[in-house]
Amino acid sequence: MNRRKFLALLGTAGVGGALATPGMAAAKAHVFPGYEDSYGVLHDVTRCIGCRQCEEACNAVNSLPQPKTAFDDLDVLGVRRRTSAYEWTVVNQYTIDDKPYFRKLQCFHCNEPACASACFAKCFTKNPDGSVTYNGDQCVGCRYCMIACPFYIPGFQYDEPFDPLVQKCTFCKPRLDKGQLPGCVEACPMDALTFGRRSDLIRLARRRIEENPGRYTDYIYGEWDAGGTAWMVLAPASKETAGKSDVGAAGATDVMHAIGLDTHLGTQPMGELTYGALGTVPLIVAFWPILFGGLYGISKSREARNEMRNKIMRAAVRQDMAAAMDDAVRRIEQQQGPEAAEVARQALEDAVEERRQAALDASRFARKEDH
Amino acid sequence: MRHTLFPLTGLLLLLSLACLLPAGAQAAAVDELEATDSGAPTAIMMLPGGDKKAAGSMKPVVFNHLIHERKIEDCTVCHHTGDPQKCSDCHTLKGSEEGKYITLERAMHATNIAPRTDGPTPQSCVSCHEQQLKRRECAGCHSIAKPARDDRWCGVCHSVTSSMSAQQLQQAASGTLPDDERDELAARTVLEKRYATPLRPELLPSRIRLDSLSDKFGPNYFNHRRHVASLMRRIQDDKLAAAFHKDPASLCTACHHNSPASATPPSCASCHAARIDPANPGTPTLKAAYHLQCMGCHDGMKVARPLKTSCASCHKPRTEEGQ
Repeated sequence: MNRRKFLALLGTAGVGGALATPGMAAAKAHVFPGYEDSYGVLHDVTRCIGCRQCEEACNAVNSLPQPKTAFDDLDVLGVRRRTSAYEWTVVNQYTIDDKPYFRKLQCFHCNEPACASACFAKCFTKNPDGSVTYNGDQCVGCRYCMIACPFYIPGFQYDEPFDPLVQKCTFCKPRLDKGQLPGCVEACPMDALTFGRRSDLIRLARRRIEENPGRYTDYIYGEWDAGGTAWMVLAPASKETAGKSDVGAAGATDVMHAIGLDTHLGTQPMGELTYGALGTVPLIVAFWPILFGGLYGISKSREARNEMRNKIMRAAVRQDMAAAMDDAVRRIEQQQGPEAAEVARQALEDAVEERRQAALDASRFARKEDH
Repeated sequence: MRHTLFPLTGLLLLLSLACLLPAGAQAAAVDELEATDSGAPTAIMMLPGGDKKAAGSMKPVVFNHLIHERKIEDCTVCHHTGDPQKCSDCHTLKGSEEGKYITLERAMHATNIAPRTDGPTPQSCVSCHEQQLKRRECAGCHSIAKPARDDRWCGVCHSVTSSMSAQQLQQAASGTLPDDERDELAARTVLEKRYATPLRPELLPSRIRLDSLSDKFGPNYFNHRRHVASLMRRIQDDKLAAAFHKDPASLCTACHHNSPASATPPSCASCHAARIDPANPGTPTLKAAYHLQCMGCHDGMKVARPLKTSCASCHKPRTEEGQ
């Protein structure tokens, strides 16, 4: 690599950097305010009795396959279950200060879903009604969404040999569109699941905390967690959090862990962490080959032009020299006769040959010195 | 101290006070009251206000020392310094150093009192009464019904005999009410206290058919009278309940909440709709309202059976109805 090529590369990198910077800046400033008037559900853990009616309703309204154990078998509550492709919601039992509590798990329908940000086939959509839905038409089965989800929600049809899909809670979008409540909400006998506008639910949750001192941990899980979620959780008070107001994510950590919720997800949408890096990927893919190819082409053609010019110049020099020699020999022939001219021609040719040889030797020597 | 909250430094003081008074002025109402064992006056009028203007001052509270001292074993529950002095000696209206700047109002009403490491944790009137509500016989209703803290709530304690004149009220607020008049009025208030006679369960509906929602299950037959009778039996000799359940239908308001106490209250379905109301998503639906009330009360009273998840204990499956 010579100096010019090096500089050319450096310039490219500089250009690349300059191109990348505005993209990354745009990604940083990216703030999605969320859909106004979107819906959500507030899950009040203090009301949940662990009857599994929500699971049963979910199974029925979504026409999911019958589970191995019936829904009236409450022993499964003791086993820590996860959602799967065929169980879009599960209720697990947890313990806070030796008292049993139940929490329902389903897709939280993030304001800015990580699954959608990870999917390069654009299978996930955050809808204006608050639901996050999946369309498997373009799904390639990479399961990046399952890795991206901070709540470990999407399930994969591992038993499906042809065209397996990712499956998860849809917020009963088809029912919402018809003006019906989600199946689980309608089935809940305790209103442990309250459906409403997300903004109303936050107000409602605050009022419940305020009106029932000592009942709740003063933290609405999902109001800000993972950038805000449509489904939110109101947790019971523990000995530590009872009577304390506005405990914050740090103060609520123990209680939330006790009911299987992480408070370390931060208030930033998951996608925002990757938009900066992923945002430059199309840029690199689209521009860098053109840029490098162009620069290579430019330097290549410049080299070719130089080579041509040198060749022409060398040819001209040779012609000039031959013409000068002919001229000198003709003048010697006129003044001193043909024999002298022949001797002079021979001497000149020898001298030229000698110079050429000397120059070649010198260049060879110089090349050796270089090495 | 101008007003006498607890004019006791022993029986001696009371006797000497009685001797000092002219014989004719010794009021009749005071003598009618049963005397306390501790020597404290049976009825004590506590005066909330103390400023000369007496504007916007609360009505005094007449404290029945007798029934309170009979309920507790240790005087230090209230007299937390160990000295049977008046509350207002330290807890002044504006707070003082010896009262650790806890004002009289706070000393009477504070809840969530932080446990003390040096000596007994003091109680306020309200904090102690709140603890009483956690007794099993109270906790059922009081875990689902929380009376609003409005003027009526204040008026349960802040009330005096109707024979107390406006002028006397003014004097009481400004601290110029003569002691004998004050004791007389306090005693009269206690004597005039009338307890409401609760409604007789026999007059109430017996078995109620709840069927507006029956779908998966058949109608529920709620044994209304048996529930009411059971609640009444548990508190029939309870002075505290009698004093605070001021209306014959007070007990009804636990379930029939948010409506005035009445023998014929509105049904649950008159407010709780079968479908969620978009304007008030916080109002439970009818199904949830039933379950929250039933289970809330059973939880409070530690009724172990039936299990919350045992639907068939209360609901007969639809098929058995032959429908």
